[in-house]
Amino acid sequence: MAGNGELQRTVLMATCAKRSFKLKMGLQCRIEEHLPVYKHVFPWRQHFNLSWLSRKEALEPPLDDFEVTETTTATEVIKYEYHVLYSCSYQVPVLYFRASFLDGSPLALKDIWEGVHECYKTRLLHGPWDTITQQEHPILGQPFFVLHPCKTNEFMTPVLKNFQKINRNVNYITSWLSMVGPAVGLNLPLSYARAAFQDEGNVDRQDSSVEPKNLEEL
Amino acid sequence: MTDDKDVLRDVWFGRIPTCFTLCQDEITEREAEPYYLLLPRVSYLTLVTDKVKKHFQKVMRQEDISEIWFEYEGTPLKWHYPIGLLFDLLASSSALPWNITVHFKSFPEKDLLHCPSKDVIEAHFMSCVKEADALKHKSQVINEMQKKDHKQLWMGLQNDRFDQFWAINRKLMEYPAEENGFRYIPFRIYQTTTERPFIQKLFRPVATDGQLHTLGDLLKEVCPSVVAPEDGEKKNQVMIHGIEPMLETPLQWLSEHLSYPDNFLHISIIPQPTD
Repeated sequence: MAGNGELQRTVLMATCAKRSFKLKMGLQCRIEEHLPVYKHVFPWRQHFNLSWLSRKEALEPPLDDFEVTETTTATEVIKYEYHVLYSCSYQVPVLYFRASFLDGSPLALKDIWEGVHECYKTRLLHGPWDTITQQEHPILGQPFFVLHPCKTNEFMTPVLKNFQKINRNVNYITSWLSMVGPAVGLNLPLSYARAAFQDEGNVDRQDSSVEPKNLEEL
Repeated sequence: MTDDKDVLRDVWFGRIPTCFTLCQDEITEREAEPYYLLLPRVSYLTLVTDKVKKHFQKVMRQEDISEIWFEYEGTPLKWHYPIGLLFDLLASSSALPWNITVHFKSFPEKDLLHCPSKDVIEAHFMSCVKEADALKHKSQVINEMQKKDHKQLWMGLQNDRFDQFWAINRKLMEYPAEENGFRYIPFRIYQTTTERPFIQKLFRPVATDGQLHTLGDLLKEVCPSVVAPEDGEKKNQVMIHGIEPMLETPLQWLSEHLSYPDNFLHISIIPQPTD
């Protein structure tokens, strides 16, 4: 039987904290207010126009070195900010995000929808109000867009059961983020999953309080 | 002795006398008179202010009008919070009527959610109802309902129809005979003095020994600094729907009778007025 919300949040937090998220493209993770917060700053879609990143004050903390491929005007670049929070009501992680142009002007919900990849569009357009909505960030109190959490258990259960079957520990966040992220422009590089998997070898398998072994512990 | 059911009606029909004034910065073709309205405590600003919008748009040119937003003493008002909550939290210690300023330009993107249509209010309301049921019943009751029942909840709120609303909502207030209450209580605690917009945590209405938890128990657990020590002076008012329930009130009872239509207990902590 699942433990209370506080216990589950600790498990989730520990699972995230173990990962080193400082990969290329500047994905960072830090614990803020006892919740894991992911901040990922990267250009819109696949346009690797990174010349503006040389303005270090625009980003914090400083990123790894990048290869500058092309230069482009500032207006074509959109900054996305992703936060992963934990919902104690649904007992699942929830993806919050916001997007703005470099001059700070925010993207509207309809711009976000237009930016969703073709292959996700049909599903999302079926009931837009059920999936991406604008909501108040529960810690910052500012408007963010949110991917609706109520189907999360539905698609995560088979994933976790499968890991159980092949007797491997699963990083809940990595698996979950790799499934929901792409619908809203967050494409995790494969190295992310590899890094997560490599860490498994270093996990002390006796330490059951850190790795979620089965769905119930989540 | 008041019947418990009367409490439900009193909560539903609570009103706040409000005076809407157009912001001085707005461009008008002639003088705009203030507009007076009794606002339902349990509803949402953008749901009940169509007449306010029409009234002020009559004296403005179409090109000067974009999305309406409201502000009280410099604070943009979050339309997605129930009206009664906004009033209790921000204006309950001031004299009536509640003076709200109306804006049609410079929408504060960093503070307010957009509200382009009634559908957005419905979606927000329903997502709160669903989240409340996730806490109370693991979503079992809300998921068993048909779409038309969900629609009835919304229509009841939109059209101020108490009976229509409660015909469905009463099912969300039931719990299994063998339990003494809901699984967890849907609540949010608001304080203007904190960074965080609200506090929401998992909290059971019944203790392991079967005793019912009270409002005081909840505060002690979730925001202990709010409740003054026994001998200390009362620092804060704990307000729901404009009243201060006794701290000994069982939380389960409060959840069943003093929740807003979204099934949440929205609790305001305000500094004790000095007069």
